[in-house]
Amino acid sequence: MNAPAFPSGDTTALNGTIAAPSGTNRQLTLAIGIQWLTAIATLVLVLAPLGPILWQSLLDRPLYQPNAVLSFDNFARLLSDAGFLRAVATSFELAFTATAIACVTGVGLALFLERTDLPARGPFRLFALAPMYMSQLVNAFAWYLIYGPAGYLTLFGEKLIGVPPWDMYGIGGMAIVAGTSMTPLVYLFCSSSARMADATLEDAARSVGAGPLRVLWSVSLPLMRPSIIYAALLVFIGTLETLAVPLVFGRPVGLESFTTFLFSRGLGAITPDYGMVGAAAVLLLVLVAVLLVIQSVLLKGAGRFVTVRGKAQRPRRIALGALRRPVAAVFWVYFVLTLMLPLLAITLRSFTTFLTPLLSPLKVLTTDNYALVLGHPAYLRSITNSVIVASVGALVATLGIAVIALVAKRSAFRFAKGLEYLAMFPRAMPGIVAGIGFFWAMLLLPFAHWLQGTIWILMIAFAMRGIPTAYGAIAAALVQVGTELDQSARSVGAGWWKTCTAIVLPLVRPALFSAFTLLFLGFLKEYASAVFLYAPGSEIIGTTMLSLWSNGDTGAVAALSVIQIAITGVFVSLAHFVTRTNRDV
Amino acid sequence: MSDVLIQRLTKRHGEVTVLHGIDLDVPRGEFLTLLGPSGCGKSTTLFALAGLDKPSGGHIAVGGRTFYDGEDGTFVAPEERNLGLVFQSYALWPHMTVAKNLAFPLALRKVPKPEQRARIAEALELVDLGDYADRFPHELSGGQQQRVALARTLVFRPSLLLLDEPLSNLDAKLRIKSRALLKSLQRQLGLTTLYVTHDQEEALAMSDRIAVMEKGRIVQIDRPEAIYNRPATRFVADFVGAGNFLPVRASRGAQGEIVEARLDHGEVLRATRSVATGSDTQGFMTVRPQYLRLAPAGSAVAAGNNRLDGVIEERTFLGVRNGYAIRVGDRLVTAESEDRFETGPVTLAFRPEDTLLLDH
Repeated sequence: MNAPAFPSGDTTALNGTIAAPSGTNRQLTLAIGIQWLTAIATLVLVLAPLGPILWQSLLDRPLYQPNAVLSFDNFARLLSDAGFLRAVATSFELAFTATAIACVTGVGLALFLERTDLPARGPFRLFALAPMYMSQLVNAFAWYLIYGPAGYLTLFGEKLIGVPPWDMYGIGGMAIVAGTSMTPLVYLFCSSSARMADATLEDAARSVGAGPLRVLWSVSLPLMRPSIIYAALLVFIGTLETLAVPLVFGRPVGLESFTTFLFSRGLGAITPDYGMVGAAAVLLLVLVAVLLVIQSVLLKGAGRFVTVRGKAQRPRRIALGALRRPVAAVFWVYFVLTLMLPLLAITLRSFTTFLTPLLSPLKVLTTDNYALVLGHPAYLRSITNSVIVASVGALVATLGIAVIALVAKRSAFRFAKGLEYLAMFPRAMPGIVAGIGFFWAMLLLPFAHWLQGTIWILMIAFAMRGIPTAYGAIAAALVQVGTELDQSARSVGAGWWKTCTAIVLPLVRPALFSAFTLLFLGFLKEYASAVFLYAPGSEIIGTTMLSLWSNGDTGAVAALSVIQIAITGVFVSLAHFVTRTNRDV
Repeated sequence: MSDVLIQRLTKRHGEVTVLHGIDLDVPRGEFLTLLGPSGCGKSTTLFALAGLDKPSGGHIAVGGRTFYDGEDGTFVAPEERNLGLVFQSYALWPHMTVAKNLAFPLALRKVPKPEQRARIAEALELVDLGDYADRFPHELSGGQQQRVALARTLVFRPSLLLLDEPLSNLDAKLRIKSRALLKSLQRQLGLTTLYVTHDQEEALAMSDRIAVMEKGRIVQIDRPEAIYNRPATRFVADFVGAGNFLPVRASRGAQGEIVEARLDHGEVLRATRSVATGSDTQGFMTVRPQYLRLAPAGSAVAAGNNRLDGVIEERTFLGVRNGYAIRVGDRLVTAESEDRFETGPVTLAFRPEDTLLLDH
């Protein structure tokens, strides 16, 4: 039955059957093999950083030393450490303030850009999302250059009124930088719900006598509540996890956050306190996990806010009338202050020897900063490394995560549901914690030392952190593909893996591409997990910027920032182009 | 020679039992239809046969090869079964042209390229779509897509053709055309075919035999004429369009024997037993509306025929015919007639051969 023989030339009679494809036992073994391999690889990838951290948090000495004793002593020491408690308090205060700022700006943008007839909505939308493409590190540096203690505008103000007009060091300054940089998250979630809102609800409010702002406040805004809650928790978690902002605007005045505490105790100290770092990392992990659980609980029963009905309608906008121009002016001021001036400052700084209001930038123009960055082999290597990590790493990660999604969503694998939970777990792991975890994993695992100091360990760590994002994009698309398309492939003789590669994956190509785009941009920006993992030879833009920054070499930092922004810009334009030309297929 | 053999097939989803021990024996070349309402287990049976749904117990063999056995754990993967399954939604792969859709099963079987082209052309010719090889599925009408789906299963000469409500997404006219095409193709190729539908007309028109399913059981399996004329239960009768179910107390008798049936208000009629019984039964009698002949109230009825007196409550114009709602005792019966009667008393006459006795 396994010889697919029919006499050649016999093409007229469709009687008699062609045997099923031979080697189907091999196909079955292949399917089961791939499914188990995927599950095990995912488990190892997620547990590699998690295990050592949990283990270390319970050991009385560094995890590579023998004869360690298990105890909760580290947690006791940590919770009685005044510095740690202050850092946690600072992190919470910062997270609350930044979340409040991001919610006000993000919701405001969403309401006015999606529900009203505000002018210049097109460019505003672009500006509203722009900070998302930027590294937090670059953003913090850019703010520092214009609003920092020696910043361009700060000095300018001081010249006018005699005293520094503001002080960006401290909770307030950090919250503004973190909050405005996370505004796109809030805007993104709220704008999609605002776009889908039922305009007749607003019309009804107008008809009973409410003015345009009153309608926005009393009808449009409450309808966005689930999106606001969701986005607010994302911003809160994001701020807890951020390293760049407290590093640039807190540490110089002795203000430590949860992340800078981990950073300085784990890296800065001459003899790192392994136990304490481990315990702190575990606490941060638990904290983020609890917040994620709260987020999912709060979003249950959000159905009563669903105003989207099957009826297709063109969303009508609230006419602002006389308020149109004043509101638009407020938005212009916001974008100039939070986006354009910092970007302008960092670009100018990269082309000058100093940047100060006392001297015209034209008099100090130079390309030395770029010459330094591109001429120094280590700095140049960090750029090429970043590009390799982002492109190769994102490509391999996309393919791997696609297989995870296929096993979790499109196979008879016994632990498919468990694999999905596993794939979502890295959301709970902040970058710096992942970095510490992988670093320790390499000390513990006998075969991992050859990864040490290579860009491969960076790719592995970044890929682990990227699983939830890419998984979300791919799994959502997989759900859209009808199961009868796989079933029909199976019934005509294709095994599970053949069905995946020939039918399912080609159908979700757009999702694979957007997953790749997300991962590429994420990998290019990532720095927090890299600070513990890089070594001479495997530096990336983020780590090089951090070390140049601590040396006070701001010109080179600015040049690297501009280069990173340029790479991002080129990539985003290419991605847009590819998406557009592929749409007709 | 039996080609498909299904024995004691069961399927449970947790507490819910979907199939309660299905037995089917389909000889080679037969067109067998699984007929029943949604949720009766007909598609589950088909998908179990295709290997896309794993049963909970029983035995499935095709062409002498065991595909599934609940006892020794045999389960042949769907891709190894070499069956041609046509889906209700056609399940054409949207990213492949018609020709590519057809080439996929051939490529899996390592058929050489020139051979593939010849077979694809032949299969498309068979369903009258010779010029559509390079189209994408979304560029085709529903009827064309349905025929491509059929060609895709015929192209690799499956040992069995399985069809899951393939015509349900077509409009009425196209459905009748496709029915004829499908039936003639099946006959021409001599393919053993299992056809799933909830449409009694389709089942009656195409099948060699029909298995009527109810709540996970086969309640009757027979030739279409027998199913239509001698339904075994009220459920089957109802499903193939019988009406006018009146509760009766009936005498025992052999199958096909004409026996006495007493209506609940005492009238005694004569009806044909659909199933033999050894004792008297409490059941139903049924007469199709078109078999009830209307006559002016008090008319004489031919000897041996049944007679009921009633009152016409309503007449509905149906075109060629008139539909009547007639009150007989405390029950309403429906009748159809080309003659026109006004509301008021009427006499109904019908033959015992057209009156069926059903036990439940």
